[in-house]
Amino acid sequence: MDGFDMIDSGTDGPSVTIRKAEASHADFVLSNVDLAFANSIRRIILAEVPTLAIDLVEVIGNTSVLPDELLAHRLGLIPLDSTNIDDKLLYTRDCDCDGYCERCSVVLTLVAKCTGDQNVTVYARDLAVTAGAQLGNPVITDEGQKGSIICKLRKGQELNIKCIAKKGIAKEHAKWQPCAAVSFEYDPWNKLKHVDYWYETDAKAEWPKSANAGWEEPPQENEPFDYDAAPTKFYMDVETVGSLPPDEILRQGVKYLQEKLANVIAGVQKTAGANGVSAAAGDVSGMDDGYGGARSPDMGDANGYGRNFNDGYVTPYGGAGGVGGAQTPFGGYGGGGYSNGW
Amino acid sequence: MTDTKDQETLPDAPEYDAEAAGDAGYDDDDEPLDLSRDNNAQITMLGSATDDDSCASFQFENEDHTLGNALRYIIMKNPQVEFCGYSIPHPSETKMNMRIQTYGDITAKDALVKGLGDLRNLCDVVTDKFIAEKARFAAEKGR
Repeated sequence: MDGFDMIDSGTDGPSVTIRKAEASHADFVLSNVDLAFANSIRRIILAEVPTLAIDLVEVIGNTSVLPDELLAHRLGLIPLDSTNIDDKLLYTRDCDCDGYCERCSVVLTLVAKCTGDQNVTVYARDLAVTAGAQLGNPVITDEGQKGSIICKLRKGQELNIKCIAKKGIAKEHAKWQPCAAVSFEYDPWNKLKHVDYWYETDAKAEWPKSANAGWEEPPQENEPFDYDAAPTKFYMDVETVGSLPPDEILRQGVKYLQEKLANVIAGVQKTAGANGVSAAAGDVSGMDDGYGGARSPDMGDANGYGRNFNDGYVTPYGGAGGVGGAQTPFGGYGGGGYSNGW
Repeated sequence: MTDTKDQETLPDAPEYDAEAAGDAGYDDDDEPLDLSRDNNAQITMLGSATDDDSCASFQFENEDHTLGNALRYIIMKNPQVEFCGYSIPHPSETKMNMRIQTYGDITAKDALVKGLGDLRNLCDVVTDKFIAEKARFAAEKGR
């Protein structure tokens, strides 16, 4: 970190204090980082840490009361053990196989039939992972060691289902979320006035004190407002669904943030165009000047922002645009190139 | 577009292939959203740069506030940078625009690359601190 102090001066850098660590959640305080960075970690933990979840369902037999689609949805939401998924599984899109294979998927089978007079309940534990798979066991944390309920069967009803679990991220579908929730708080005394509390008569009396309030000094009576202050302590609690341990989620989250950065750095270096921009650093020579690509919206010329406003278009009301603006439902407006049809 | 000629060019419905529909394979023409982090980091320089490139705007594809805000902050920390801001012009386009204006000693792109590197280092520090704290916490609990 050359040239300038990256973290706020006067501190000895970012620090982490773990307050509670259990199998299903980890409570920690991240300090001496900025709000933007802490929020990036929160966002990446929620949406971009990959896990394993059932993605394809082949229904060979289903005579239960639940339709196939409903079963497929329920199966997708079952958390599967995803520890060290990066070393064990590829994304299907990165795999050379056709469809799926053992390098990019885990196959689970579910075979259940009710033969007796008593109804049978099918649980997540009844999902059988193919022998030899390194991961993908359904997460079972309840005392009865059963897992979540998938379906109930009456006498004569049966299920015969093949599930293909794949690696994915929660940005694509929430079933890949590693976290049930990530709590995130800063400035429990609201000294920074980022929160405007609603109140009947007195906000202080009506609002409960934050659980993290004991970790920071309460404000003095008539303390002047410090407009230079910035939040530095972030209270986070990562709650998992069981597919990954909480500390791994956090480590993976930071890793994926770095991977994202590495990709962007590579992208900056890769997008070399003919109209290369002179750069002082030798390793970043030439980036697409963008005259053929997107432009900022304030450019205001015919090619502004990747859309040619002068081309016009056809409105749902039938007015043909042609060159020189679109026809609005209220009659012709052919003057400017900027008519948006309103 | 009610021309019959256009209708004739519509492709025939694909014939049902029992083998493909069965166990054998998957016809993946229903591609899921491309969210892979690999090889799709596309950055373009928007055409609003000054001649000396001390000020420029960049457009990032497939990025959002996760990267934008943290990067903006870290670039602003650079004393050679006069201004840095980002915006997501439209919520349904996965694009993020970032404006960087330097005082002229470095190019905007240098500031961007430096910011990216600094953020990466910051991540390293946080990971190290977390691992150390985890070990300390485990040791304390074990006692």
